[in-house]
Parts: sequence; structure tokens; C-alpha cells
Amino acid sequence: MPRGHIHPISSLIREANAIFFNMGFAFEEGPLLEDEWHNFNALNVPQDHPARDMQDTFFIKDEPGMVLRTHTSPVQVRYMESQMKKGIAPPYRVIVPGKVFRNEATDVTHEAEFFQIEGLAVGEDITLAHLKGTLARFFKELFKGAEVEIRFRPSFFPFTEPSVEVDMRVVGDAAPEKLRGKWIEMMGAGMVHPSVLENAGVDPKKYRGFAFGMGLDRLALLRWGIDDIRLMHSADLRFIDQF
Amino acid sequence: MKISRAWLQTYFENPLSDMAALSEALTFHAFEIDGIEGDILDVKVTPNRGHDCLSHRGIAKELSAILKLPLKNDGPRKSIIIEPKVEAVSVSIDTPLCSRYIAGYIKGVKVGPSPEWLRKALESLGQRSINNIVDATNYVMFDLGQPLHAFDAGKLSAKDGKYAIAVRSARKAEKMLALDDKEYALTPAMLVISDANADATIGIAGVKGGRPSGVDGDTVDIVIESANFDGASTRKTAQALKLRTDASQRFEQVISPELAAYGMRAAADLIVQLAGGTIAGFADAYPTKGDQKTVSVSVEKINQVLGTGLTAAEIADVFVRLEFGYKEEGGVFKVIPLFERLDILIAEDLVEEVGRIIGYDKVPATELPPFPKKPEVNANFYAAEKIREDLVSKGYSEVFTSVFADAGERAVANKVDSVRPYLRATLVDGLNDALERNIHNKDLLGLKEVKLFEIGVVWRDGKEMMMVSTASEKEKAAEMHLEGAGSPTYDELPLSKTGRYQPFSKYPFIVRDIALWVPADTDADRLRSDLAMWAAPMCLHVRPFDRFEKSGRLSLAFRLIFQSPGRTLTDAEANAVMEKVNAAVKDRGWEVR
Repeated sequence: MPRGHIHPISSLIREANAIFFNMGFAFEEGPLLEDEWHNFNALNVPQDHPARDMQDTFFIKDEPGMVLRTHTSPVQVRYMESQMKKGIAPPYRVIVPGKVFRNEATDVTHEAEFFQIEGLAVGEDITLAHLKGTLARFFKELFKGAEVEIRFRPSFFPFTEPSVEVDMRVVGDAAPEKLRGKWIEMMGAGMVHPSVLENAGVDPKKYRGFAFGMGLDRLALLRWGIDDIRLMHSADLRFIDQF
Repeated sequence: MKISRAWLQTYFENPLSDMAALSEALTFHAFEIDGIEGDILDVKVTPNRGHDCLSHRGIAKELSAILKLPLKNDGPRKSIIIEPKVEAVSVSIDTPLCSRYIAGYIKGVKVGPSPEWLRKALESLGQRSINNIVDATNYVMFDLGQPLHAFDAGKLSAKDGKYAIAVRSARKAEKMLALDDKEYALTPAMLVISDANADATIGIAGVKGGRPSGVDGDTVDIVIESANFDGASTRKTAQALKLRTDASQRFEQVISPELAAYGMRAAADLIVQLAGGTIAGFADAYPTKGDQKTVSVSVEKINQVLGTGLTAAEIADVFVRLEFGYKEEGGVFKVIPLFERLDILIAEDLVEEVGRIIGYDKVPATELPPFPKKPEVNANFYAAEKIREDLVSKGYSEVFTSVFADAGERAVANKVDSVRPYLRATLVDGLNDALERNIHNKDLLGLKEVKLFEIGVVWRDGKEMMMVSTASEKEKAAEMHLEGAGSPTYDELPLSKTGRYQPFSKYPFIVRDIALWVPADTDADRLRSDLAMWAAPMCLHVRPFDRFEKSGRLSLAFRLIFQSPGRTLTDAEANAVMEKVNAAVKDRGWEVR
């Protein structure tokens, strides 16, 4: 019998998990229907932050304080909380691939539901340089040994300080032709804000960490040259059967 | 924010670099650039820097620090006195949401058009020039970041020769006609500026001034407002009134009350320069002046966070470039940030300043040390992967359908498109829909049977749970709860080997079958490619679907799929191609069944 096909996002998650597992990262998950404390407050997003505006976040009817998570970052807090409760202190390393939601109109580059992968490394000796090194290795393995360069630009997220935008460039013959030599914006990242560690019960005086959050749909678009993000949730085999 | 290079130049003695160089300097050390149009940079100021960088002076300061260019004429770095005190105007603040209100009283101005330099400066940012008074207040806002407003004093009520400005909450069911000629219904949650003698609202604090007290051609005396309003309150008001203005945008981001004095000084001086008149004086209500903050960070900490080996001298150079006051002792910097830099609160904020000014290219890429223990295998993901592989090996393909549904136990309250607001309680419905849609494309896909599966979350019985569901043409859709499964390690499973995705045609396809009698020793594969050649280019696929032998002859049947990437094909077109194919087949001496 001919084999069926797995969704390209599943293939990416499988691949990302294998790469990060070898770097000591465990696979973590959290609820899609999340409370505002984990989705916002614990991540240093105050009550009156614009990100909480009605048009961005899906709120749940008759369940005040509940939202469809807008990012995978609440799992940072959930994971650290649960470890501390079990009496397990850092170092921690986890990735969190999963679905997230934004309450916006959809077009070729925007979907109301999409996938992210979160990364978190916490320890006594974690640096921004480790973030660069970790992402460089991830992309190098993902693009099968192509030469990969990582570049940081200043940015702002309430839950990281310093915060950076991460650009990636694949160079050399092993790079996919359409991507070769071009800087591509890949994700937001940074050093975990001390308030986030504190909110999760981890002593920010003793521990530091890096965190990143990357759109998996976007990564799939780049990786395979997919032209419409809505194909991801189309359940259309004219799309799926190509993977 | 739109930033003009010519405007920036007023802050520097030496000619600035070209737009590309300015854009690059900001991109790698401060902010993303959303676009460059001629002389205008569109700078995406991050929310933590709305305090100081929604202004030309703020961006000039950034460039000064990044490019090591000395600033000239930097108003807010000079000491300032708001004098003389005026008796003719009083200010009272009856709310904790206004930390400062300065009223400046200028008499005998001549309202008229603005000079060309001012008109040009505002128009370059896409702003409309109104008159010299209003333009002066707008110019100072885009220059220093302090919103200002001008009232026509002649339209305010005087009592014993004195004007009285009050900042208070709006009254119930209060209305105000604003400068945009629209009437706004106010609520007590909103802050207003009131002409206290008449108890009349003359402005929505931090958002918009009122029409009745607006400056016009007959205005002679004016009261200039340079104030500080609470960020969250201004944001809520602007949102509720659907009136987001350049002023509200700046207050929303929270600005320092210290800036109000510099804004007032600059505006008053500019107005007298442009419109004449004399500054009668100022009334400054500033109930509680904040303390100057000190933030400490050590050289060690900076290097520990960034993963760098910077020296104390290199770090000190960053603070000098940013004009932060500091004292260094034993490797610890005690830093006094500028008053407008409300974002500098903790050591990590200073680490970021050092990192971005020096440049993140100086941060090396270092691999993490080995993790002290083997990471755990996630039981749910392990189980999902196992069942995924099992189903794929049985010919099922994986889809993701939307979590939004027509029915369910829970619903979202505010869906933008308001369709399908429920959270699905089952995967089955979505999967059945997907099955239905894919069955139409079965011939195009070359499938004997469409078989789908989905692994996804549903909300049922008050819980969020992971399900796996299958659906195919032959069996009814079914789903089951996905149970986690422990394992010491992950299995090595195949990844997609696809290189590039090929976009598919969205136009309908046409199917034609052909069955042939051919000699028993005919190469069926060769025949298939001959058919494909004869039917090209309209025919996308030729797929064998039947084969049997009878009395030394071979019967072969093929299905031809016709489709165009850019239009809908007609039956007549497909028929014409089939006639061509039939003719070619007969030429070979084969018999069409």
C-alpha cells in the first residue's frame, strides 16, 4: 500500500525536536486555552498593554480571564513553575512547538491559527552568545550543512531584556537557491526578563536564561517555497501530498 | 514615526550621512526602519522607547550615540527656568492622572500663515499646516516629543481679570465639540481640561482640544498647554472615542513630566518669533516631582549576560555616548539615566544599552555546554509520533483543520470575522468536511481512496484534550483520545524529502479515459509516456488504471487528467485532444476499445 503523507509542519516539528533533543532540550507543551496570567501578566505584559487589545486576542465567552494563547511563551512560565514545584532547580532546556492564535483577518501571510516553536534555556551561566550559537546550530542542521549566519538586531518584548530580532542567512552551494545569501527575519528572542523568572519562582539573582519564539508556518514557507500560509490549514491533499 | 533627515540635521554641526547609512545605523543599534521615502525615514519606535523617541530630537540622540556625533542645541540637556510666574492664569489639578500642567500666557500675537521652512517641515511628515500658532505647537511636538495645545484666551472666561484652568474627570453625559468638528460623548473615566470660571470643558486631556476655544484668525491672546497625562488613562480615552491623535499616541507611551517645561519653553519662544506678542508668564502645577533614579550594573554582569569580554572602559564609553551620568567603582557602574529615559529601570536595561550601542555583531556565537542529564522523552509527543507513522504507513495523509467550529461547548467572544465562533468538541466534523473536499480531487491526486487523519486538540466535557481521528471513503470517521506513551528515547522517523513545493492550479480539471487492445508484449510504461506526449501540454497526468490479458492480447486502460494553470478548460478542448490521441493510437495499429 502506498504511504500517506505527513503534514509539513509535523515534519518540521519532528526535525526540530531531533536537533534540539541532541542539544539537551526536552519537548514541552501547554494548554491552548490559557489564562491571562500565564499568557500576559507572568510574561511582564501589564494590564493596559496594547497587545491585550480586543482585536489581537481571542477571549472566551463567559469565561473571564481565559484566552486562546497568543504565543507559546506561557509554557516558559508553566514549565519553570512545575519544575520548581517538584523541587527541580535549573538548568532547564525546553522547546515548545505548538499552535497559537491571533484574532486577525487572514491573507496569504496571516493566519488566525498558526504554529510557533518556543525555546528556553535557563541556568547559572547562560548568555546571549549561547542563543546565537544554539540558533546557528539549529539552522545549520535544518538546512543540511549549509553555511548559516545569524545576526541580531535590537528589538523589544516585555518578557526579554535585552531583546533581539534574529535574522538568518544561508550561504554557499548547499543553500537553497531562492534563499542563498539573503538575510531573512526569523524570530524574536532575548534574555529572559528577571521578572519572568521571578514570576515562575526561579531566583533571577542566581539564574539567567535565553528564550526565542519562531513561527513554524513561516519557516515552512521559506524552507519549501510555499506561497500561501493558508494552505497549512486547508486540509487540501493537493498541498499535503507534496510532502 | 516619520523622521526627516533635514530636520535631524538641525541637531548636528557636520553634514549627516546618506539615508542608507542612517537607516543602517538605526536598524542595527536602535530601531527597525519600516521604509525610506526620499528624505523621510519611517522609524518603528519600539513601545519601550515611546518615552523619548517619538521625536526628531530622540532619534538625533540615538544617532549621536551610535555614530559618535556630538549634538548641538540640545534643549532638554540645558537647565531651564519657567519664568516669570503669571498671575492672570491659574491652574488646578484635581486628579492623580495628571502629574504636571504648565499654562503659558502669551499676549498680542498675530495669527497668520507659517513661514515656508515650518510649512515644509510639517508637510514633509505628512502634516497639514494650519496657522503659525498651531504649527508652532505641532513642530515642538514632532521635535521634542511633548504634545502641546493652544487655547484662544479671548474665548475663555475671566473672573476678576483671571483665567482658571482645571484638570478634572469629565462629568456624566458631558459632551464636547472638538477641533475636528465632531461632538464627543464623554464619561467620568475620561480626563478633561476645563475653563473653571465657566465650568466648560475645553479639551479632552492629552487627546484633542475643543472647537469653541480654538485659535483662529481673530485670536490675540493665547494660553499654551504643556502637560503630562497618565498613559493608560489617555489610551483608554482615545480608544473609547476612536480618536487616536499624535498627542494621545505620545501620552499613551508615558513621557516624563520634566519634558513639559522644555516643550513649553520651546513653543513659547517659537510662537513669539513667528507671531510676535509677549510672554506674560507661566503657571506651573507640578504636585510631586519624581526622584532621580540610579541603576547599577557591574562589568561582570554585562559580560555574563551578553557572553562578551568587554572592558570597563568600553562600557563607560557607551554611557558617555548616551550622555548617562555614571560613577564607576570596583567594576560597578552607578548610572543616572537621562530624565526622559523612563525605560531604564534595572541592570538588564543597561546591559541592553551596552549590547545594542556596541553592536550585537560583537556577541559571539557560542554553543551551549552539554546538558548534565539526558532530556526526557515527552510521552504525548512520542505517542503522537508513533500513531502518525502508523497511519501514514497505512496510506492515511495528515491534515490540520481549524479549531473553530459551528458548534461546541465553548466559544470565543470576539472573533474578527464572527463566523464559526465555537471551539471544536470533535475532530470528526472537520475531517469529514476535508474528506468531502478532497474526494472531488481524487482523480487529480491519482488516489484509489482518500484517507485522512488529524491529531489535534478538542474541548469537550470541560476539558482540553488531544485526539486522533481518521476518515476515509470506506470507513466512517472515528476519533479516540490520544494517550501518552513512555519511552527511553524517540524513534527515528522519516522526514519529508521534498525540495521545493509546486503551486497547484486552482482551476477545474477534466477527466478522460482511454482503453486499448495492444499486443501482449507491449511495454505499458512506454505506451503511457507516448499518450502523455500526444496529449501534452493540456494533459497533466496519464495514469494506468486497468490491465488484463485475453486471447494473447493485452488490454490497457488509462485515465487522462486535463488542467490549465491559468484558466478553465472546456470539454470541447479535451475532446479535441482525445481525438488527436485516438488518431495517433490508430496509427500505431492499436485498437481503441
